[in-house]
Amino acid sequence: MTATTVPATDSARTTHRAAVAFRGVTKAYGTVRAVDGLDVELLPGQTVALLGPNGAGKSTTLDLLLGLRRPDQGEVELFGVSPREAIERGLVGAMLQSGGLMEEVRVRELVGLACDLHPRPHPVDEVLSRAGLADIGDRLVNKLSGGQAQRVRFALATAGASDLIVLDEPTTGMDVSARQAFWATIREQADQGRTVLFATHYLEEADEVADRILVLHRGRILADGTAAEIKARAGARRVTFDLDAADLASDAGSRLSALPALTAFDVSGRTVRIQSSDADATVHAVYALGLYPRNLEVAGLGLEQAFIAITDAATAEERDAATAEEAAR
Amino acid sequence: MNTLIRLEIARTLRNKKFMFFSLLYPAGLFLAIAGSADPNDKVSGTNLTLTLYYTVAMASFGALTSVLVGNSERIAKEREQGWVRQLRLTTLPGRGYVIAKVASAAVVSLPSILIVFGLAATAKHVRLEAWQWLALTGSIWAGSMVFAALGVAIGYLVSGDAVRPVTMIIYFGLSILGGLWFPTTGYPEWLNDVVRWLPTHAYAAIGRAIEVGDAPAASDVAVMVGYLLLFTGGAAWLYRKDTLKA
Repeated sequence: MTATTVPATDSARTTHRAAVAFRGVTKAYGTVRAVDGLDVELLPGQTVALLGPNGAGKSTTLDLLLGLRRPDQGEVELFGVSPREAIERGLVGAMLQSGGLMEEVRVRELVGLACDLHPRPHPVDEVLSRAGLADIGDRLVNKLSGGQAQRVRFALATAGASDLIVLDEPTTGMDVSARQAFWATIREQADQGRTVLFATHYLEEADEVADRILVLHRGRILADGTAAEIKARAGARRVTFDLDAADLASDAGSRLSALPALTAFDVSGRTVRIQSSDADATVHAVYALGLYPRNLEVAGLGLEQAFIAITDAATAEERDAATAEEAAR
Repeated sequence: MNTLIRLEIARTLRNKKFMFFSLLYPAGLFLAIAGSADPNDKVSGTNLTLTLYYTVAMASFGALTSVLVGNSERIAKEREQGWVRQLRLTTLPGRGYVIAKVASAAVVSLPSILIVFGLAATAKHVRLEAWQWLALTGSIWAGSMVFAALGVAIGYLVSGDAVRPVTMIIYFGLSILGGLWFPTTGYPEWLNDVVRWLPTHAYAAIGRAIEVGDAPAASDVAVMVGYLLLFTGGAAWLYRKDTLKA
């Protein structure tokens, strides 16, 4: 399966050095390939979401990107240098899901440490207020709630003027309003020309914030494009209707499954659910079969359904391949 | 890195439990043990009074507590919680974390030495030459680096719930067998042959030599240097292993 190419021209690629480049990167734990031949470039200024089911290799990908793990094969470069060098130059700010905090110190002291360690630091007060921590600067770090601790992690990631910001599940533990405030801040960062890469479980976040989405599955990139492209890829529309018992009694099932532009098909009771890459053609064909669909609904697929459709299809493909291999033996 | 060292010191000074164990505990033990002894009692087989013996023993014990107990547990915990990972996303050089831990331990171990000496001079009327006080403070303080390195090594070697019991076994084992709690002269000969190779034994022996105005035995200094190399080498190796795995 080939991934949609990066929406960037060749000239852009030669004039700008990639913010992030994975070249043939593989990382295995024992026999499990967590990252399997990853080739991807992120351009400066992009806001990129990394999506994938649990175990897809998101965390390993971010670890490799930040130099916390070394690839078995291939190489990772940030702005043309190694991850460690990029970090030492203050080019990268990162917020890890697994990132712990120093305990028994005050929020302000800890953020002050991060500012102090950054070559191009922002003023501590500015960092605190941007992360929504201005009121709790005197609180001890080990006395914070989950959402507050998450904001401290964000403050550590944005303590200086880094060109790339990496966020792993950044809004975990935040309530809805905190989450909205958080993404508003991230958009500001992106508007200042920073490259932002984030992994998330909340697909609506990817839909709203990212201008590019990478779908990761078993260590490979399944899809790469804008939210709209990803949705289109999965079958852009969902068509739902009910059929009369008489219509159903005929060989409707087999005739329906042969409809044009169909990407998924399901009948339960009298209700038919279809995913279609061309809803107009599909609905037209339903009438052409002489059927009379009732309560017809045509709706766009959400990113979540698109994501599930894409990963499910990949899983099914792998299963088929495995079965075929077994049959051949 | 100075900011990190400053923060490490500040959090240690705020930790009441730690301050109790590294300051009040050795000082209290000193008063309790040395207070009940006749000031003229000699440690059997030596020319040293019990008071002098415990002055060095408890100052050493206090320094050992400050540098060993807090650090191993903190490092193990911070490795697990991911603070060590988070720090690796900063410009702090890899060694910086360990250096900050040892440096802050060195700062907080000094008061635990001085408090015992202060009590010895005031409450127990121990009289030594000025150079002896200085040399004692210097040697016990410098010697505590051996145990700071051991603390780092344990912190990288042992994880989770095991780190506290392991640290405690090593801590009490070294203290008791090395003669920081009781003179080892009462031990059977075979045990004495073993314990003289312990770092705590050499540690206190150097202090006692200074108290009687002698130069420390070369063998004791050699034992301390040997352990320093062993523990720093071990800590460095474990640290590298942990870095590659993390």
